[in-house]
Amino acid sequence: MKEPYRQAEDSELVSASIAGDKVAFGEIMERYRRMVARTVKGMLGDSIYAEDVGQEVFIKLYNSLPEFRGEAKLSTYIQKIAINLTLNEIKRRKRFFSMFLQKGNNEMYEYEIADFDSEERRDATELVNKALMRLEPRFRIIVAMRMLQGYSTKETAEILEVPLGTVLSRLSRAQEQLKEILENL
Amino acid sequence: MKPSELKSLIIGSLDEKVDPLAAARRMEEEGITFDFSDGFNSKVIDRIFSAPEAVVREIEFVKSMRFIFTRVALTGVAAIILLLVSIFLAEGSLSLNSFLGIGNGYDEGIVYLLTGN
Repeated sequence: MKEPYRQAEDSELVSASIAGDKVAFGEIMERYRRMVARTVKGMLGDSIYAEDVGQEVFIKLYNSLPEFRGEAKLSTYIQKIAINLTLNEIKRRKRFFSMFLQKGNNEMYEYEIADFDSEERRDATELVNKALMRLEPRFRIIVAMRMLQGYSTKETAEILEVPLGTVLSRLSRAQEQLKEILENL
Repeated sequence: MKPSELKSLIIGSLDEKVDPLAAARRMEEEGITFDFSDGFNSKVIDRIFSAPEAVVREIEFVKSMRFIFTRVALTGVAAIILLLVSIFLAEGSLSLNSFLGIGNGYDEGIVYLLTGN
């Protein structure tokens, strides 16, 4: 079914998707769903919320495709949508829990929710997931982008639209925090 | 891979000197993968492409409502015209008294009607 677009360029897929071609958009999803999953699940954990946010990312992408001018790579464009929607979800969740919890307990509950759908097995992905969920969100995004997506610090700074120095300092602090977290896991 | 080795790999992947792309590939080779559940693509496609049908239904509903409103409004206007014509024919004018139905009433008759004296 997806064969006609297997070899197609991203720009071709974008044009066909704007024209309402389901198969073309399906191919875009096939190419970038794992990238989106790494960002969303890296920041929200392997939960039902991550699945919902993942769906929203592609729905938002589809609706905003006519505005995509092709100046940046499609992957960068999708990545930005994924990061924005994931950060919105983290904020929404914090607001929700702050109504019921005392200040300072949010992180704990965020972790519990993120772990809601996972089993207790300690395989590699689980270990990374648990470690990431215990990181502060501002460090988590940097770590997820570098460790899971393989972005350089420069690329991370461009995508997050923050200074390079900020990325470097956060990366260094994230590394220290991650060391402490992993010692206790 | 032992958990201790895995932890070293995770920490090492954040090192500034390490090639991030190679580190990310290495993590994937070690089984650290993230993906959405089965049927993810079809769920998204359904959500995207079923939306226009809902919009079409909404537009059809609005069109029907407009048609009904036009019919009701035309009927109302026709009724008002008929009422005006009948008042004019009955009372001979379209004054306020004619509208109130007291155009040809005698004062004595009204007082009698209201008080009985």
